Amino acid sequence: MNIAAQLPVIVLVLPLLSAFAVTLVSLFNKKLAWPLTVLTMTATFLATTGTLCSVIHNGAIRYRVANWAPPFGIELVIDHLSALVAVVISIVALLVAIFAKETIQKDIPNRVGQFYTLFILCTVGLLGETLTGDAFNLYVLIEITSLTSYALLAFGGSRAYFSTFNYLILGTIGACLYLLGVGYLYIKTGSLNMIDIATLIPALSGSSAIFTAFILILVGLWIKMAFFPFHGWLPNAYTHATSTVSAFAAPLMTKVTVYMSIRLMYFVFGPDYAFSQFTGPVNIVWLAVIAILVGSYYALVQTDIKRMLTYIIIAEVGYMVGGMWLGNAIGLTGTIYHIAADAIMTACLFLALGSIAYKLGSTKISDMAGIFKKMPVTFCAFLVGAAGMIGIPPTAGFFSKWFLISGGIQAGQWAFVVALLVSSLVNAILFFRIIEVGFFGADDEDEHDAVVVQRNEAPLSMLLPTVTAAALVILLGLSTSKVTSLLIENIVGSLF
Amino acid sequence: MKKLAAVMVMITGLCLIAGVGDFPNWGDPNSPANSYLSTYYLTNAISDTAVPNIVTAILADYRGYDTMFETVVVFVAGLGILFLLRGTKKKLGDHPTAFPSSSIVRTACRIMIPMMQLFALYVVAHGHHSPGGGFQGGVILGASVILLAISEGLSDGLKRITLKNTIKWSAIGVLIYSGIGTFSMLLGGNFLDYSAWAPILPATDAVMARSHGMLGVEIGVALTVMTVMFSIYADLASHGQMDEGL
Repeated sequence: MNIAAQLPVIVLVLPLLSAFAVTLVSLFNKKLAWPLTVLTMTATFLATTGTLCSVIHNGAIRYRVANWAPPFGIELVIDHLSALVAVVISIVALLVAIFAKETIQKDIPNRVGQFYTLFILCTVGLLGETLTGDAFNLYVLIEITSLTSYALLAFGGSRAYFSTFNYLILGTIGACLYLLGVGYLYIKTGSLNMIDIATLIPALSGSSAIFTAFILILVGLWIKMAFFPFHGWLPNAYTHATSTVSAFAAPLMTKVTVYMSIRLMYFVFGPDYAFSQFTGPVNIVWLAVIAILVGSYYALVQTDIKRMLTYIIIAEVGYMVGGMWLGNAIGLTGTIYHIAADAIMTACLFLALGSIAYKLGSTKISDMAGIFKKMPVTFCAFLVGAAGMIGIPPTAGFFSKWFLISGGIQAGQWAFVVALLVSSLVNAILFFRIIEVGFFGADDEDEHDAVVVQRNEAPLSMLLPTVTAAALVILLGLSTSKVTSLLIENIVGSLF
Repeated sequence: MKKLAAVMVMITGLCLIAGVGDFPNWGDPNSPANSYLSTYYLTNAISDTAVPNIVTAILADYRGYDTMFETVVVFVAGLGILFLLRGTKKKLGDHPTAFPSSSIVRTACRIMIPMMQLFALYVVAHGHHSPGGGFQGGVILGASVILLAISEGLSDGLKRITLKNTIKWSAIGVLIYSGIGTFSMLLGGNFLDYSAWAPILPATDAVMARSHGMLGVEIGVALTVMTVMFSIYADLASHGQMDEGL
């Protein structure tokens, strides 16, 4: 076996096989499930990094599954964009896998094996969505990520059942619309291979069926990524889930869906087709502006940090969709960069918040009094994530905002620029409110009794991934020029 | 709100009708869907894979990667329901625990179940020659076990296929599928390229190996589908309690 040639598929097969190994092993010994999961995720991370290096050195890879030539069989396409997103997925999955140990042991001691199986399969689904070059195969993988995430998110008590049921219905509608769109494409082009469809679309650009397919696919993915006005399911589903699951779902689900919509819009329909359909007053950037403002407004009125973060996610989805529709290179660079940056920042915030919730049993802002003294390391990691969300240099969040705002100015979309600035301001207010309580809002009793607050950090298995995520937020910011020159310019340069 | 929803549905429906305006005619042999890839499959499926049932050739070989993940979807559905329902300790209302036994039903089922299972095995094994395959055969197998659980009571069904076994065998089923694919990789081919198996199978060339590979993955699919069918039934019928109940 030639490992280098098989690497793209090993990225998927390795976790897939070990998911079933985890199921089988945990029937006999539940204690092995967690180490096996961490081992799998580490190996997956190495495999995705290897693929990324190979893509940087040798260019895009096209892998023929079952050795059938592309339009007849299914192929995997790993270019700079998908390799980048795959690495981001595997990093977050590894961090969350390490983090999961204590919370899962506490929440569901008797179903650990099933949890880790679903967790690994969800990662497989996300990686598969990133690497595939086939429009129908993408649907199958959307099904896998959706089903696993329904099961994982629902696990958080009776309120989680209900909010996940909401998500299940909306998510299924979204996936169905996507499938319907692919069906229309197949009827008009006769092909399912993305690269093949892209060559057939220009000749059909006047077709109303292709236009319907375009709209169905876009709206279907918008529902899955919780883009305004289809965001209703997200806050409840992510708030009521257990902290490990929300730390996994919140950074990845929406971001990977944004990746899929970039893939379909720019690489299947093509920028020429996409932008020729929406000219004049009908502009998606305006929807993104509303999404950002609505998300920020609702974030402002929340008293629970976890719920507040879910509304920030909705605003962030607005950033990315807006950047994608600006129609210039720098806007798309911002969107692609923000997929990575936002995934890491959201992971950092949710991991830190998960650790705090594990110790405190609450995520309300009012309960954060004196948290800096109790959990200094965790809270500092939270602050790094917060700085990223506000957009303070040198965190990654600053650079994505920089790209997006420059793109907005270049495209003359002033509303988008203003919305981005407003949202940064709102984020600053939100996080400074928490910082104020966390640093200065010490409990009254403590002051009276002059008792020194005990340091009470989360266990190492939670602290390590949280701190790593915080370090990555800064590291990604510092290596921005490398990421853009090595990866993103390659993608964007081929489109504009 | 309901009226608004009705209006939205109407508008969407009208847009969809407008969208199909330039579809090719129904059954048009020259339409892209009927002439582009389909022609290749129709002319080359037998010489490529030695499988006369072209549907199976596409499902399990040309697009076998999709089908593997579809099997994973079935597995996830079963596991997900198990994962969520097993935890609920409280009883959701009373359900009859004592099972009304009828000798007519039991005798009829006793005759039917072996027939069904035999037919299911035929459907699985013959899937690449005639209509059928792993999904269909697996469903019939699963139905036969469910019929057993209905006629003799759930506890009797669970005695034959325990909860542990449903998890184990549904995982093994998918593992067979992905394992066959991985093993082709170890033999020097691409993932799921069954033709790489030719050197180690007796009296088999690369084309015949694809046919055998398809039979192998169909067996894996059948195992997963059967156990998941029964597991979902048992979970739902007993509200996750796995006691008598129906």
